[in-house]
Formats: sequence, structure tokens, C-alpha cells
Amino acid sequence: MNVWPLRFTDVGRDALLFCDEAGGFFRSDDAFLERYANDILTEADRDFLLAGGHSFEEEGDRHHVGFAARWAKRQFVPGPLEYIILVPTLRCDLACRYCQVSRVNANARGFDWNEATLNAVLALIDSLTSERIKIEFQGGEPLLRLDLLSRVRDFCRRRFRSAEFVVCTNLQKVSEEAWAFLAAADTFVSTSFDGDALTHTRQRTLDPAQTATFLSNLERAMTTLGTGKVSALPTIDPDNPPAPDAIIAGFARLGLRSIYLRPVNYHGFARKRFGQGDQQLWNAYYDRFIDALIAYNAHAAEPMEEFYFTHCLRRIFRAGHHGHVDMRNPNILGADYLVIDHDGTLYPTDEARMMTRIGQMDLSIGSVFGGLDQEKLQILNANSDNNFHEDCGQCVFQPFCGVDVIDDLSRYGRIDLSRHETAFCRRHTALFTRIFELIYTDDAATRRSLAAWLGVPAFDPALAPVHK
Amino acid sequence: MIPLRFRAELPPIEEPLVVRLRDRPTDDFHDDREAALIGIAEGWREYDFNGFSLRIEAEPGQSLDGDVVLAFPGRPIVHRLIRARSHHNTFLVTERCDQLCLMCSQPPKQVHLDLFAQFGQAALLAPVGATIGISGGEPLLFKEQIFALIGNTLSVRPDLRFHVLTNAQHFDSEDGPFLHGRARDRVLWGIPLYAPDAADHDAIVVKDGAFARLFQSVATLAKAGAQIELRTVVTRRNAALLPRLARLIATELPFCTSWALMQLEPIGFGRMNWDTLFHDNSVDFGPVARALNIALARDIDVALYNFPLCTIPEEYRTYAPSTISDWKQKYLETCQGCSLKTRCGGFFEWYDPDRGFARVGLE
Ligand code: SF4
Ligand code: SF4
Repeated sequence: MNVWPLRFTDVGRDALLFCDEAGGFFRSDDAFLERYANDILTEADRDFLLAGGHSFEEEGDRHHVGFAARWAKRQFVPGPLEYIILVPTLRCDLACRYCQVSRVNANARGFDWNEATLNAVLALIDSLTSERIKIEFQGGEPLLRLDLLSRVRDFCRRRFRSAEFVVCTNLQKVSEEAWAFLAAADTFVSTSFDGDALTHTRQRTLDPAQTATFLSNLERAMTTLGTGKVSALPTIDPDNPPAPDAIIAGFARLGLRSIYLRPVNYHGFARKRFGQGDQQLWNAYYDRFIDALIAYNAHAAEPMEEFYFTHCLRRIFRAGHHGHVDMRNPNILGADYLVIDHDGTLYPTDEARMMTRIGQMDLSIGSVFGGLDQEKLQILNANSDNNFHEDCGQCVFQPFCGVDVIDDLSRYGRIDLSRHETAFCRRHTALFTRIFELIYTDDAATRRSLAAWLGVPAFDPALAPVHK
Repeated sequence: MIPLRFRAELPPIEEPLVVRLRDRPTDDFHDDREAALIGIAEGWREYDFNGFSLRIEAEPGQSLDGDVVLAFPGRPIVHRLIRARSHHNTFLVTERCDQLCLMCSQPPKQVHLDLFAQFGQAALLAPVGATIGISGGEPLLFKEQIFALIGNTLSVRPDLRFHVLTNAQHFDSEDGPFLHGRARDRVLWGIPLYAPDAADHDAIVVKDGAFARLFQSVATLAKAGAQIELRTVVTRRNAALLPRLARLIATELPFCTSWALMQLEPIGFGRMNWDTLFHDNSVDFGPVARALNIALARDIDVALYNFPLCTIPEEYRTYAPSTISDWKQKYLETCQGCSLKTRCGGFFEWYDPDRGFARVGLE
């Protein structure tokens, strides 16, 4: 029998977590590690490893084929370009304390697409080979240019077999025309709601009356557009976060079931105002938030989730779960999604756009007028996978984890740091450690939440294999 | 029950006849393959087939427009090979089989009537975008003919799909080119797998080495990127093994397209062995639930086939589509006024309530 290489990590109480390169995992102990390392496996060890897909008898047998298929599924292969983030204007009618997009005032000039830019954007969209497209309108406040949004949407509807649109709006000033635009079946709303009115006022509107307007707009969106068409993301300041319970209750009251917590992203204005974020503070808060969710779900009829936690949990169990552009491996940039700025410049991610805008580093990858800068993309993509990285290659979480070259560049200006010194790695080590802790927690409330987050009726204990 | 055969008066034929019935001639009407309705009298419909009369006895409500029927010389019957308004059209291509599954709904017979030419003609006359089922017996005992049937049909009718039920005992690496070609995206191979180990699976299908041979076939299919539907009939013989089977599928067959857990059909051996085989999930849903939870969590697309909705707990009902073919489906008296009836498949025509589920009907 051949055992695939196993990585392992100490998870306390004489327990070790083992994981193979296809993402098959189990818990065992030092005694097993000893036998594994010294190649003196018992009959029971062998049976366990074979049934779990961690070994094979001979090349091409069912164990071997299954492992190869699961390994291959874990590698992200980008499809054709079919997801485009558009910034038709950089102008915004709010000036949130930590604005993540380096906005300009609502009456500024020269920060909108002109006719030539619009035409070049449409030409680029027209040249795509995919039959479907997803367009995300960002800003600035995209609703300030409803005219541009309509023209893009009309064009895409005609051009593609299926088209979907997301408008990322602050829902502060929504005209009746805008409501009508948002009501279309193919159009979705994404907004920011920092959890409760007080925090939202402090961090965003600076004016309780404005917050009240926003909240009534959000409620209108939920009731008239439908809960399935609206998502809201809270931005959390780890130095002064709202109580997890308050956020959960606030979202639940509105009928929002998914909460995507984001730490303040220190960019643009925010970077000038705040210091470097404290990862530990964030991790601790995040932990408390997950605890609060589990407690809430224990009794709630409609369970709530933290979006990214759910995503990473699903990546552990599902080899082909690549639906999030921030978390995949390899994370090829400039392939299946793209950002187009207000001046027609192309960026691999929104983060790259911000870095470039604040003058930290030019991460643009071409423009709608001249096309993609392949040379630059190649440099960025040379380090887009974690399989062979010396730190990740020893990490038990590697099959589930990803890479974020842009985040490394933005924080450290380089990508050759030891992984363990990066915020990306620290955040994900903490996250995966926590998820595995939950997977191996034999407690009804935890299992109920895990089931809800995995989208299954019940969490079966067989999903958390243990070998003694 | 929807009739699959009608009494008929045939034109003088020497060979088996395949013909599509039309209520009125269409623009692209084919004289040599289609017959147009010219009159109805006293339950009999009269069709004009190339100048000859074809008469079929059918109830007034039945639509036969677009149906493809098969008739044999000297026998006053037509068989409905394809019903234009149904999603359940299956060609039973042979009754021979090299397994002898304990619950087989179509117990094998040695005789084989070769109708591949007729099936080929019928397939070409199927409605646009239709899926044609191919079943047996074991169709791939006639692998060459089946591959030819599928290949020829798809080359003329790329809009069609096939769903082939096979015991996966007959695929070899030479089949790669066929599987990888036009067939890849158009054929779903439905393969029965009953247990997570050779001893149990082989005992259920009554064939030594079947389990090992199945995996060999599946490796060939997987390599070609073929679409695979695994099918597991739930019985008392394998119910307890289902959680392990779920794990095996997620681990060793992660490339399969879907997995169907199927309630027993009380016909053929299934009827004969009903009392020893029937697993009453209205009393014990546990192992089915576990299998479903394990497989779903690991991204296997699982569905429960032929499970009346009221016999399974509420939170599992979304996984139980209505699957019993229209022509052999029935509802019980309890079903009258049931709020789930529109999305419930009900029961097999030959289901006997006295020997069936202990609990039926919504509380
Ligand atoms: S980034 Fe860190 S957590 Fe992720 S695979 Fe690499 S070493 Fe592991
Ligand atoms: S009572 Fe009849 S229709 Fe209703 S769920 Fe049961 S089997 Fe289905």
C-alpha cells in the first residue's frame, strides 16, 4: 500500500490533525504519527487510510483515481472572462471615515466615464467569448450615473444569453428611476450596513438623520426587491467594534441571513486616519462573532452565517468550491474577472486599483483602449499558487487555502516574505484552526450551525473522521 | 395508467414498421416515416400512411400527435416507442443480462429480439431536445449496436440526449474515443452501485467480480469525462451500508454527476422478494438521512427517487423530486387533498399498501 504524503499539526489535548494534498483529513494521535513516520502501520491503520482516500494499492485503482480526481478539482482553472467590475464614476455623496475606494466629492469633474470610455468598455465586453456575464457596478456611488448603468445593462442583455448585474450602492439617495432600475429580475443590490444605527452613523453618515434615510431605503429594498436580491456588508473597526449580537440581531431583523464581516481596509483616506490594523484584535473579534452566531442559530428558526467562514468551511469539504475570487488556488489574475476604472484603466482586483490610485504601486494591467498588459500579468501570476511554496507546502491547510499576491504587495511591498509573517497567512491559519475546532466539537448547537452553513439537513459525525 | 400499446389495423407490411403519427401534415412532413390523421370514428383513428390506411384504437382524450409507434407484420398492435408529450421515453433494447440483481424490476430472459434498426429510426423522429432512455436487460451486451445507435443518432440529431442504464461491466479502454466524442456531453450513464464493498455488492447483483469490474469501467468513463449517474436501490440488504457507501462515493467517485437513492419498485424480482427486501423508510429513515448528509456535505448531488414525500421527514423532502414515470404512477386515497400532491411522485402502479409503508399521508 502507498500512503499519500500527510501533513499534520498539533491541535491540543494529545490530538493531531492530518491532511493529505487532496484535502482529505482526519484526527489522530502521536502514537499513529510514530507508526506513520516509522512505516510500521498496523492492519487497522491501513484499512482506515485506504477507506479515507489517503492511500492506494496500485496506480489506477479506485483509490488512486479518486484521489487524483479530488486533487485536480482543488486546483482552480479560470474559465473565460465573465465577471467585470465597473467603476463608471468615482464621485460619491458620502465621505465615510475609511472610504475604501478613494472617492471624490459628488460635484467633482473629470471622474466619470466619458462617451469614448463607455464605448471602449462596451467594445471590450462585446469581444468576450463567454455566453454569460456578471457585471458589478462600483464607485464612487454608481447610482449617480444611472444613465451609464442603463446603457451597459441594455447592451449586455442583448449581447449575452444570461446576464446578471450587481449595484454596489450606499442606498443614501435613491431616485424613483433608480428604484425602477433596481427592481429588474436580473439586477441585485449590494450595500454597506455597519450593523447598527449608531455605528453606521459614526463610521459613515456622521448624521443620524442621514442614517435614518439609509435604513428606510434598506428596508424598502428588502421589502420591494426581495430578501434574495439584497446583500449588506458591515465594515468593522476592530478597535471599536459593535457587539456581535447587535450586528446579528440588526441583520436578522432586516431579513438578511448572510453577514460578510470586513475589517476596515487601511487604504486611501483610511490609511491616513488609522494605523496598521491589528490582526490579533481582528481574529479575537471574529472568534467572538462566530460564537455569537452559533448561540443565535441554536434557537433561531432561520439560521445566520458569516459569509467568508461559510465559504472556507465549504472549501474544506468540497474540492471544487472556487466561487470566491479572493480565495482560490492558484489565484490567476486578469483571467476570469477584471476591474475597469473610471478612466478606463484595467486592474486585476479592486484592491489593486486602490493601491495604484493612492500612488503606492502601479498595479494597472492595461486599459480599455489598449487592452491587457500581458507582460505585467505574467509577472503577477508567476506566484499565484501555494502548492509549491515552502511554507504552504508544509501547511496542513494548504489544500483549502489560497494566495493573495495583491494583499502581500499592498501591505509589505513584496511577495517574498515568509508566509507566516503575512497578514493573509495569519488570518487564514486562525480561520482554518477555528473551523477544524468546530468540525471536531461534539455539541448540538455547533453541529446545527455547521449543517446550516454547509447547506445540509444535519452534520453527520462521519464527516469528522477520527483514527485511534 | 397511460397505455403504451394500442389495438391497430396495419397496412400490408413485410418488415417491422416505425412511423410518426401526425394530427395534421406539417411543412416538413416525411411520407415514408410519417402518417397523417384523416378521420376519427367510434374510437378508431384513421391515418394515411403513404396512401395506405393505418387504424389505431385510442381513447378520445389521448394525444398521439408526434408519437412514434412500432408495429410488426401480422400483429394487430402498435407499440408507443416515443410519446411526444412525455419525459419518460425508454427503449428496452434487450432482456438479456449478465447480472441477476435481487431486486431487478425487469428480470432477464435469454431470448433477444434485435430491434436496433427500428430504435435507430425511432430516435431520429424524437421531439426536439428529447432525452431517450436506453434500458434492458443489460444494453451493453450489445455494445457495438448501442454505440452505433447513439453515434448515428447524434450525428443527425445533436439536440437529443441519451440516458443509458448499464451495469458497467463492459467498458474497456478502447471505448475512450467514443465516450470522449459527441457522446460525452449528450449521454448520461446510469450505473447501479449497491454497497461500499465487493462482497456485499457482488452478493446483491449475484455476480462474482462485479464490483471490481464496475470500478474498472467507471475509471474509463471518468477519464473520458463522461457523465455518470450512480443509482442505489435501498433495500434491507444494504440500508445499513448506505453511510459508508456515501463516503466511498465522495472519496472514490467524486467525478460522478449525481447519485440517486431509489426506493424499491414492486415488480419483477422486486415484487417476488418484496417482503425480504423492502426497507420501510417511513419507520427508519436514519441510514438514508445519514447517506444524504454525508454525500451532500461533500458536494455529491444526491436525490431520493421514488420516495413518497409523506414517508420522509420534512427537511429531506426537497431532495425527493417526483420521479415515478407517468405511465406507471398512481396515488392512494390518502393522497386526495394532500397539500404535497403536486410535487409528489406518489406510488408505483403495482404498489400494494398492505405490504408497504407503515406510515403514509401527512399528519
Ligand atoms: S498561507 Fe498560511 S495558512 Fe495558507 S496555506 Fe500558506 S501557510 Fe497555510
Ligand atoms: S399523501 Fe400521497 S401525495 Fe401526499 S405526500 Fe403522501 S404519497 Fe405524496
